[in-house]
Amino acid sequence: MLKRIVAVAAVLVVAAGSLGPVTAQGGKVAMLLPGSINDQSWNAAGYGGLQKLKEQGMETAYSENVQAADHIEAMKDYARRGFSPVIGHSGRFLSAAQRVGPEFEKTLFVVGSGSGGQGKNVISLDLANEQFGYLAGALAARMSKTGKIGAVAGLEGLPNMVASMGGFRLGAKSVRPDVEVRIVYLQSMEDPAAAKEAAFSLIGAGADVVGGKLNAGHAGLVQAAKEKGVWTIGRSFGHTQIAPERVLTNINEKWSEVYATAVPELIAGRLHGPYIAFGYDTRGTTGGELRYSPEREFNAGVPPAVVAELEAIKKKLASGALRVKPTKDDARSGA
Amino acid sequence: MSVETALVELLAAAVRIATPLFFAALGGILSERAGVFAVGLEGMMLAGAFGGVLAGHLAGSAAAGLAASVAAGVLLALLVAVATVRFGADQMVTGLAVNILAVGLTSFLLRGFAARGEAATLRVPVLAAWPVPGLAEVPVLGVVLFRQPPLTYAAVVFGVLIAVFLARTRAGLTLRAVGENPAAAFAVGVEPARVRLAAVLACGALAGLGGAVLSLQQVGTFTDAMTNGRGYIALAAIIVGRWLPGGTLLGCLLFGAADALQLRVQSLRLPVSSYVIQMTPYVVALVVLAGLGRSARLPAALGTPFRRE
Repeated sequence: MLKRIVAVAAVLVVAAGSLGPVTAQGGKVAMLLPGSINDQSWNAAGYGGLQKLKEQGMETAYSENVQAADHIEAMKDYARRGFSPVIGHSGRFLSAAQRVGPEFEKTLFVVGSGSGGQGKNVISLDLANEQFGYLAGALAARMSKTGKIGAVAGLEGLPNMVASMGGFRLGAKSVRPDVEVRIVYLQSMEDPAAAKEAAFSLIGAGADVVGGKLNAGHAGLVQAAKEKGVWTIGRSFGHTQIAPERVLTNINEKWSEVYATAVPELIAGRLHGPYIAFGYDTRGTTGGELRYSPEREFNAGVPPAVVAELEAIKKKLASGALRVKPTKDDARSGA
Repeated sequence: MSVETALVELLAAAVRIATPLFFAALGGILSERAGVFAVGLEGMMLAGAFGGVLAGHLAGSAAAGLAASVAAGVLLALLVAVATVRFGADQMVTGLAVNILAVGLTSFLLRGFAARGEAATLRVPVLAAWPVPGLAEVPVLGVVLFRQPPLTYAAVVFGVLIAVFLARTRAGLTLRAVGENPAAAFAVGVEPARVRLAAVLACGALAGLGGAVLSLQQVGTFTDAMTNGRGYIALAAIIVGRWLPGGTLLGCLLFGAADALQLRVQSLRLPVSSYVIQMTPYVVALVVLAGLGRSARLPAALGTPFRRE
């Protein structure tokens, strides 16, 4: 009986597919999200972008908690219904987009935080993580008294991690070539207790500024800095609240601005893939920013001279005079 | 940094990493010595971590947080006890189900307690260290052992109590008897179901405290699935320690030391991928299990439901 149901379902799916893709029309945007839109972090940021597109007058639709097994079918479904672009809000949608892309040539598939694309219609949007990492590294090096700084991260070798952590080391060395930069990688981005322990190991070795890039684990890193009285760099205003006196600033990702800026340009054909990264040198949005709180850019403890130096680096990044290109070796673990 | 300071830091880190594991493992010992597999440790820890932060946040007191950690662990343990002891359900499957339930339930409730269904950011002050007067100033040992937060001392106290309970008391003997041969225990007038129920609930309470170590003592917040497999490491430590509190403590400390060392080895810039270095604590656990686990003798009735004939 079950077999028969599966067989019938399969026939229906094939039949639906043979109707062929509906011609893509401008102004119908769909988003697939890996989690729930009210998670106050990654998914909420993506959904915020979709809201902005709706305000611009577009028809929008979304699916939450899309699991890996459903990536391809969910993308096909929206493509058939004439949505374009179909956005997968996470790098893990990339392989599905690359599978579906050739089948629906008139539909744009956009992958948020993806690392590449394929053909004309599969495009990754990303932040220029190396630019924000570079600024954070320069800030950390300038704030260190011991000449030793550290970072805790996860997923060594992933393109966006190489950009972030390699940028951090390059930025630190750029303002202070003798600074010692130690990076420790964890097996989970979501484990605050492990992150705290890793930060302790760096602080124990003399680091008096600890940065890094973790998800839920980042709270543990900030907690370690608070307890040991060293500086740290957060990823959200929530981290400033944990240790207002110890957080120098946060690397604040503005995904809603990225989508609100990029999607209309993509539809109009003014922006081309396969990989578009937003930073200080892009139009419309910088993609991210350093922000201590909604009102301030930095902790009051950051001297004006350092703020001015960072401002100068931003200008160079914006003009293209400075291009940060981290290698895997720049993002290596250890000193 | 001198070799001595480095060693002290390493040992202090090992103690911190081992503490939540040891709490959960102590609970697991009670449950398994009574004949019920403690696969659900991971879920009970997670529930404890969540309950502690939630109550600590709402009531504004650490004591309320600790009480809620225990209660949350016991609640999940009750589920295990009813399913396995009362209805004779498979202990492995029940334990795994509880672990999955805990992940879903805690992240769901975390969102349920905030307006508009957003994930609430609950923060509580972490439990501060209680240096033991005099002893805290002793070189090496003072830093490693006597400048700890309260739950770390509590773990040691519970360890000693449970060791004495199992080896030297009548109730401990009864518990072990139920885990070895429930039919014989029944024949001399013991009700195995009742003993197992009590053991599993005590297991939930201790695992809940293990979760509290993570959320209340170490981080001061709850994040989704923050136990990250520690319940399973605790299970391995029980086997390494042959169901004895002392040996299990050594197992937990060994894992803690390997994990602490792993973080520091990464800093040495060896020509080895960080993934390989991160793997070492788990490899150590596997190797030790393969070596000691073979000769370990399980409580004879572990995993078998008891039914009155």
